[in-house]
Amino acid sequence: MQSAPWVTNYLTEHFADDAFRTLDGYRARGGYEAARGALGRAPAELVELVKNAGLQGRGGAGFGTGLKWSFMPADAGKPKYLVCNADESEPGSFKDRLLMERGPHQLLEGLLIGAFAIGAEKTFVYIRGEYAEAARVLQGAIDEAYAAGILGASALGSGFRHDVVLQRGAGAYICGEETGLLESLEGKKGQPRKKPPFPAQYGAFGMPTTVNNVETFCHVPHILRRGAEWFRSIGTEKSPGTTLFGVSGHVVRPGLYELPLGTPLSEIVFDHAGGVRSGKRVKGVIPGGMSMPILPADQLDVRMANEFLRERKTMLGTGGIMVMDEDTCMVRAGCIITYFFRDESCGQCTQCREGTGWLHKIFQRIERGEGREDDLAVLEDVAAKMEGQTICAFADAAAWPVQGLLRHFRSDFELHLRERKCPFAHSFEL
Amino acid sequence: MAKISVDGVEYEVSEGRTILQALDDLGVLMGQVEIPHYCWHPKLSIDGSCRLCQVEIEGFPKLQIACNTTVKDGMVIRTQTERVKKAREGVMELLLVNHPLDCPICDQAGECKLQDYAFEYGVAHARTREPRRAAAKRVDLGPTIVFDQERCILCRRCVRFCREVPKTGELAVFARGDRSLIDTLPDQPLENDYSMNVADICPVGALTTKDFRFKIRVWFLNDVPGVCTGCSNGCNVYLGVANNKVYRYVPRRNDAVNETWLCDEGRLSYKAIGAPDRIKETALRGAHGLAAATRGAALAHAAALLKRAVDAHGPGAVAGVASAHACNEDLEVLKRLLDGLGAQGCVPVPTWRADDLLRKPEQAANAAGARALGFGDPAPILAGIRSGAVKALVVLGHDLLLPAFLGGAEPLAGLEAVILLDTHHSELERAAHVVFPARHPAERAGTLTNHAGLAQRVEPAVEPAFEAYCEGEILAALGAALGLTGFGVAPAAGAGRAVA
Amino acid sequence: MVDALSAETRAKIDAEIAKYPKRRGALLPALHLAQAEEGWLPPAKVRALAEIFEIHPIEIQEVISFYNMFYDRPQGRHHVHVCTNLPCSLRGARGLLRALERHLGVRAGETTPDGRVTLGHEECLGACAYAPMLRVDDRYCEALDADAAKEIVDRLE
Repeated sequence: MQSAPWVTNYLTEHFADDAFRTLDGYRARGGYEAARGALGRAPAELVELVKNAGLQGRGGAGFGTGLKWSFMPADAGKPKYLVCNADESEPGSFKDRLLMERGPHQLLEGLLIGAFAIGAEKTFVYIRGEYAEAARVLQGAIDEAYAAGILGASALGSGFRHDVVLQRGAGAYICGEETGLLESLEGKKGQPRKKPPFPAQYGAFGMPTTVNNVETFCHVPHILRRGAEWFRSIGTEKSPGTTLFGVSGHVVRPGLYELPLGTPLSEIVFDHAGGVRSGKRVKGVIPGGMSMPILPADQLDVRMANEFLRERKTMLGTGGIMVMDEDTCMVRAGCIITYFFRDESCGQCTQCREGTGWLHKIFQRIERGEGREDDLAVLEDVAAKMEGQTICAFADAAAWPVQGLLRHFRSDFELHLRERKCPFAHSFEL
Repeated sequence: MAKISVDGVEYEVSEGRTILQALDDLGVLMGQVEIPHYCWHPKLSIDGSCRLCQVEIEGFPKLQIACNTTVKDGMVIRTQTERVKKAREGVMELLLVNHPLDCPICDQAGECKLQDYAFEYGVAHARTREPRRAAAKRVDLGPTIVFDQERCILCRRCVRFCREVPKTGELAVFARGDRSLIDTLPDQPLENDYSMNVADICPVGALTTKDFRFKIRVWFLNDVPGVCTGCSNGCNVYLGVANNKVYRYVPRRNDAVNETWLCDEGRLSYKAIGAPDRIKETALRGAHGLAAATRGAALAHAAALLKRAVDAHGPGAVAGVASAHACNEDLEVLKRLLDGLGAQGCVPVPTWRADDLLRKPEQAANAAGARALGFGDPAPILAGIRSGAVKALVVLGHDLLLPAFLGGAEPLAGLEAVILLDTHHSELERAAHVVFPARHPAERAGTLTNHAGLAQRVEPAVEPAFEAYCEGEILAALGAALGLTGFGVAPAAGAGRAVA
Repeated sequence: MVDALSAETRAKIDAEIAKYPKRRGALLPALHLAQAEEGWLPPAKVRALAEIFEIHPIEIQEVISFYNMFYDRPQGRHHVHVCTNLPCSLRGARGLLRALERHLGVRAGETTPDGRVTLGHEECLGACAYAPMLRVDDRYCEALDADAAKEIVDRLE
C-alpha cells in the first residue's frame, strides 16, 4: 500500500513521514494538543462543537456525528462505551486501513476526545481480522500512549480515566454493521440486532454506546484544533470537510485521494486518477463502495457529496470509486456483486437470506446465456421486496446495486438474453 | 393501559407490550386480528427475523414488525393495506425459493404454517427456476425428533426453545446467509425432557416427532380437548383422535397450567389408552383362577365376599384403596361406599422425577382430588394389610404394589376379598377375587384436580371397543348390592356420562 | 479438558478476559489465540474454551462456523487467499487465482497434498488500488502478476 495518498490534506499531509506513526513524531506535529484542550472543556461543549462543524459519519451512512454523540444519556448511572468501527470491508474501500497504518495516533487522539465528549470510560476498537498489519501498528500506538500516560487512569493528566481495547474480527463483512459489530465484540456471531433499542440505550455489553468509523474520529482533532468554521470552509454546505476517496479499477493511477467533499467525480477520475487506462472510455463508475448504485459515463459530473449523489439515486457511502471501462460486462460485475452479498448475508432475515441467494443465481444464469425474458422483472421485483424491510440495511445494500445496474445498463442484460451468451468478449475474466 | 386501533377497531391493551403480545393477551391474535408470523412465539424471546408480521403503523414511514414494536397510546395499526400485502407476498415467495416440495411426504401437511400462509398471503405461482438448496434430510436429531434441514425456514424457534425452556441448548444455527443450517454437535443429540415440543413450535415439517411419523394425516384427526394424566400438573392437551383411536397428544395452551408445553413422557402417555395390556373384561376367580364373568355375576360375588368379611371381622377389616388416577366423580362414590361400610380409605400416590418446569412430583392426575375427598396416607392400611387386620380390600388401580407401598402382591395373598377396578393388567390381579375393567379418563367425562387445586374437566375422546366402566358406576352398583343407603339401583353399563 | 490449550495460551486468554466487562467479550481473541496453536480449532480446544468461558460448546462451534477466519478442520501450514472481489477482478484477479490453482495443483478451497499451502479466495481485503493481490497468512502481497504470485507461493515452507 502507498504510504500516503496521491493528494493529501489535513488528515494525511504527514503520512509520508514514517515518524508520524510514532508518538514522538506525532507530538512533534502538534499531536494530542487538541485532546489536551478538549479534556479541559465541558463534554457538552465538545458535542456542540462537532455538531456545529457538521461532521458526517464516514463509515457509509453519513449520519451526523455530533447528533449521534448527543444521543448518549448524560447520567446513565452505568458505564458508557465508545466503539471505533475499524471493520472496513466495503469492496472498493481501503481508506481506514491507511489511516490506521500511517496515522494511528491521530485516530487515538480522536477516540480520546470522542470518549471524553460522551463520557465513555472505555473505547473498543473493532478491527477486521484481515488487517493484521494495521492492528499491529495500532496496538503499538496504544502501548506507546499508555506508557506516556495519554491513556490509562488519568488521560494526559486530566483525571479522566480512559482505556482502549483492540479486538480483531475474524472475517465477516456484516460485523461492520453497527449492531453486528457489537454482537461480535461480545463474542457472538455478528448478527445485527433488532432496533429499537438503539446502541445509545443498549449497546456494547448492554451499556450506552456510540459507534463511529475510523475516519470520522480522525477528523475530530482537527475540528478541535481549528474550529467548526474552518471545517465548514472545506467541502460543501451540507457535507463539510475532506474525505479519502479510494479509486480503483480501470484507471491509470489507482489509489487514495484526500479531497474536499463535493469534488466532482469526473475531476477525481480523469484529473486525479489519470482517466481510463489504455486509452479506453469509461462505461460506468460505482461512486461509494460496492453497495452504492452505479453511475453511467454521462453522469460523472456529479459532485461527490450525499446531497448531490442522492439526486442521482446513489450515495457517497465510503467513497470507494470503482471505474469500469467500455469493455466491461455489467452482468459479470453483477455476478461478483451478488456473490459478495450472498456470501456475507448473516442469514437472519428471510428477504436477505433468500433474496441474496436468488439474485446471485439469476445473475449467474443470465451470464451463462440461460437467461429468460421475465428474469429482469424478477430481479427488479426481488430487489424491491428486499428493500426497507429487514433488521439492518444489508438487504438494501444488496438490492441497490442490482437496481443501479438495471437502471443504467439494461442493454447489457438484454444482449445476454438475446444472444444466449455473454457478448462481451473483452471484458474482465470471471 | 393504552388504546390502540387495529384496522379501525379499538383495543385496550397493557403498556409495555408489543403489538403481537398485546393482541395475544386479548385473545384476538389470529382470530379477529390476523397478523401472520413465524419466528414469534408467545412463550419465547422475540426474534424478529422472519419479517412476516410487518404491519403499517401511522407515523412510521417504513413497515414495522409487530413482534418487536411496543404499543403506545393512540397507535394506529393497519394490517390489510397493499403495502402489507406486498410485504407478506415477498416473504412467502422468498421462503418458498429454497423450500423443497415435500408436502406429499411431509407429516406437517395439513397443519403447516407454510402451506397455510402461502395459500392465504402468498403468490399463486412460483417464479423461481433455480436449483434449491440441498441439505440433510431425515436427520436423527435425537431419540424423539427427526429433522429435515431443507424444510427449515430458519425461524429459530427451536434454538430459542432449547435455550430458554429446558435450558439444554442442544441446537444452534451454523454458518451464515443462505448456507445457514440448524444442527446439534455430533456427540450431543437433542435429548431433554421437553424435546418433542420443538415439533409443535416448528411452523413447518422440518422438525417432526418419530412417534407420529407417517402414522396418519392430520386432517383425519379430530382434536378433542383433554388433560394429560401423567402427573399432577394436569397439562392441557388435545387428543388427536381418528378411527376411535388416540394417535397423539399435542399441548393445548393454558397459561395458568402448562403454557404451551408438554413434557415428553406426558405427551407419550396417550399410549396407555390403547395399550395392549388394557383389562378388557370383567373377571372373577374360580377354581381355575380368574375367568371372564358377567358384570352381574361379578358384582354379586364381590358383594358377597365383602359382606362375609364385614360379618366375620367387622367393618374395620375392610379398607378401600383409591387411585390417584381416577376422576373425582368415581372417588366420590368410593368414599360414600366406604363410609356406608364404616371402612377406612387411603390413596397411594406414585412419585417420579419432577423439575421446575411442568413435571410435578406426584405421578398421577388426581392426587389432590383424592385427598380433598378425604383419602389420605396409606400407611395405616398398609400396616393393617401386613398385620392381617385388613381382610378385604376394594382397590382402584395398582399403585398399591409400588415399592413405596406394599412392594408386591404377596402381602395380599391372605386376604379374603380383593375387589379390583383397574385400567391395565398388573400383578395385583394375582391376588384379586373380582376384577372390573375401568375406563381411562380419555374414555369418559369427569374432573381431575391438579396439584394447585384446579379441577379440570375431561370429555370422552374415544369409546373403548371392549367392556369398560366408570369406576363410580361399578362402586354404586356394589353399594346397592350391599344394601347401603343412597346407592339406589345400579345404572346401565357402559355409560359415558359421569354421575354428578 | 483445559489441557487442550497450552499454559501460555491460557495465560494470554486470561489477560484478554480481564479487558472486558463480560467474560465472553474475549471469545474472539481467545479463538484467535487457540487457533494459533495448530492452525485450526479441534473439538477438544472448543470444549476447553467452553469451560473457560462457562458456555455450552455448541455456542462456540456456531461462532466458529460464522467467521471466515476460524477453521473447524486442519489447514495447510500457510493460507494463500486471492481477493476476487470487483476491483481486483477488474484487474485480473480471477486469472491470477486460476494460475495459482494450476501452479499448486489444487482448486481454491483445497490444501496441497504436502500440507504446505491452503489456497483460497477472499472478499475485498482493502487493497483495491493495488490489485490484483493476495493475503499470505497475515501479510498482504499487492500489485501482483502471475509470476510474482507463483514466486511468493514457492518461497513458503
